[in-house]
Amino acid sequence: MGIKRILIANRGEIAVRIMKTARRMGIETVAIKTAVEPSALYLSYADFVYDNTDDDSEIPVFLNIDRIIEIALKTGADALHPGYGFLAENAYFAQKCLDNNIEFIGPSPDSIYKIGNKTIARKIALANNIPMATGSQGNIANEEEAVKIAEKIGYPVIIKAASGGGGRGMRIVRKPEDIEKMFIIASKEAEKAFNDPSVFIEKYIENPKHIEFQIIGDKKGNIIHLGERECSIQRKHQKLLEEAPSCALDEKLREEMGNVAVKLVKAAGYYSAGTVEFLLDSDKNYYFMEMNTRIQVEHPVTEEITGIDLIEQQIRVANGEELQLKQEDIKINGWAIECRINAEDVQAGFAPNPGKIEKIYFPDDDYVRVDTGVIAGSVIVPNYDSMIAKLIVKGKDRKEAIKHCKLALDKVWIKGTKTTLPFFRMLVRHPKFTGGTFTTSFIEKELTQYFYNSEYEEMLAAWFATKLFIEENLSENSINLNFNESREIDPWLLNKRISQI
Amino acid sequence: MVNDNSKIKKLYAIASSNRKYIFTLPLKNIIKIGKRNYEVKLKHDEKFGTYILFKNRKYPVEIIRSRQNKYEILFNDISYVFTIETPFSYKRMKVLNKQKGKKEKEIIKAPMPGKIVDVLAREGSQVLVGEPIIILEAMKMQNEIQSPVNGIALKINAKPGTIVNKDDVLVEIKVEA
Repeated sequence: MGIKRILIANRGEIAVRIMKTARRMGIETVAIKTAVEPSALYLSYADFVYDNTDDDSEIPVFLNIDRIIEIALKTGADALHPGYGFLAENAYFAQKCLDNNIEFIGPSPDSIYKIGNKTIARKIALANNIPMATGSQGNIANEEEAVKIAEKIGYPVIIKAASGGGGRGMRIVRKPEDIEKMFIIASKEAEKAFNDPSVFIEKYIENPKHIEFQIIGDKKGNIIHLGERECSIQRKHQKLLEEAPSCALDEKLREEMGNVAVKLVKAAGYYSAGTVEFLLDSDKNYYFMEMNTRIQVEHPVTEEITGIDLIEQQIRVANGEELQLKQEDIKINGWAIECRINAEDVQAGFAPNPGKIEKIYFPDDDYVRVDTGVIAGSVIVPNYDSMIAKLIVKGKDRKEAIKHCKLALDKVWIKGTKTTLPFFRMLVRHPKFTGGTFTTSFIEKELTQYFYNSEYEEMLAAWFATKLFIEENLSENSINLNFNESREIDPWLLNKRISQI
Repeated sequence: MVNDNSKIKKLYAIASSNRKYIFTLPLKNIIKIGKRNYEVKLKHDEKFGTYILFKNRKYPVEIIRSRQNKYEILFNDISYVFTIETPFSYKRMKVLNKQKGKKEKEIIKAPMPGKIVDVLAREGSQVLVGEPIIILEAMKMQNEIQSPVNGIALKINAKPGTIVNKDDVLVEIKVEA
């Protein structure tokens, strides 16, 4: 192995995930300690910790290209893993790494630029006869052009950021009178998020399924796919639950779409891990949407059903090794589901709910895998995303995986912040989810309740509230006898009190 | 108001779902479901924190907020709001509710802390149900805040580029039929 020491230019669960594999491979790791999270869990997995707590810059260090390169050089790292988000899909950053003799664990800067830019990716796809939704030839110059092109394609249309991802800079337009306004909003949002205001327009596919193929390729041009993931359970283009494989694909369609994904990636001269995203309509027509040139949040479901460590493959490819896997070696075994447990308030439209994790336990059944960057005492800070953990469950088939998921969800114990757990408890009981007929519009259009509680849970909560009331107002040592008088009590003080009841 | 607490025979817990739970005093550690009685226990230990033990299962429980006789409880990761009423205050509440009548003004508050990116309505302009009024950016995402009613935008406090806290009043709307 040429790579001896990897700088992890990331934090949270993905930093932990990368360091676990690196350690198993006998490679040293360097993590960056920040002032925002000076005692984060990921730091304890690293062989070396670079103290960056005195950095008073307003941009997070994980977005600061010069600073990251400087840290890599100072700590003697010969390779860098960007994780996901932050600089993971920044071609300029990847080039900077190479210029400084730091191996970038990911694709080449050239392919990040080409295929990561949706307009260029569309051109490559078009030249290779990859099925796509009708759309603009390139970026849209101004409002007038947006009006014209949308008219030509036919409503509804979707405006997307050329350099975008994660739902930002994306707007669905159903009526001609909205197109100008939405063009401006999308463009502004794109400029802010990606430093690039360019947007393009595509026909909007109604109620599709989101199907993506995991691919892995080496620097010698060998490329294979590791089957698909279905990520249709999403809200505002943010994925909440992913599974692999997808019940919408049969063996024939899987092979066909997999081959298309490989063809596209080959045409772009791509290597390392990547994801080719498609939309699948109700008639099983598929359309290439975009490619992600990084390891994805949902990669564990693919790992669980193929038995392949994707981080290890990324490192080996970066190290110049030839892919040892052949397409015919890839066997899909069982079913895996991932729930993103986020610090969000599902009762308040999934609003972020940052806070300190007081207690946290996960089930230890052998069908459960947990990827997390937090422990009891960790703080979910508002500076970064709201993820607490990824709960990944496996079963021999979809039915068993859902059963296991239901059991595992009831065993997760998190105190200190509201989480998306009640949402998943609802989802695994919903006939549309268990039946597999859901699409990307399921959450926003079909759900009327975003959480599950059994019939007596409200009653138990009522009993608890009544007990508190009695304790505070009617008992001998009440803190306040006259409960009509206004007062505020610190909830933590109350929590302390009830522990003594 | 309540001078002799021992006279209170029962308490009502009124949930925000409008369901009413009646508990007789002194409060027992028993909950009746159908014809069967089940024991309910409030416990606290170092490992799990505060929890309720019911039918052999532990449910995490926390107080989010408490003010006067109003309690917001987090039970098994879901929050519930209850007002606890004595038979006397319950009667009075019902009378007051009858007098209140229909809502004339709708107040839109910031659902989360964030930055105002755009204000799409103007003071004095008409707004319709579902019409986006404000774009609020919070944690990576731009969120559309829509009007919950048909009406006239009376007052708009939100200004593009400003930071708002959760529950800051953004817009006041005069409700129209």
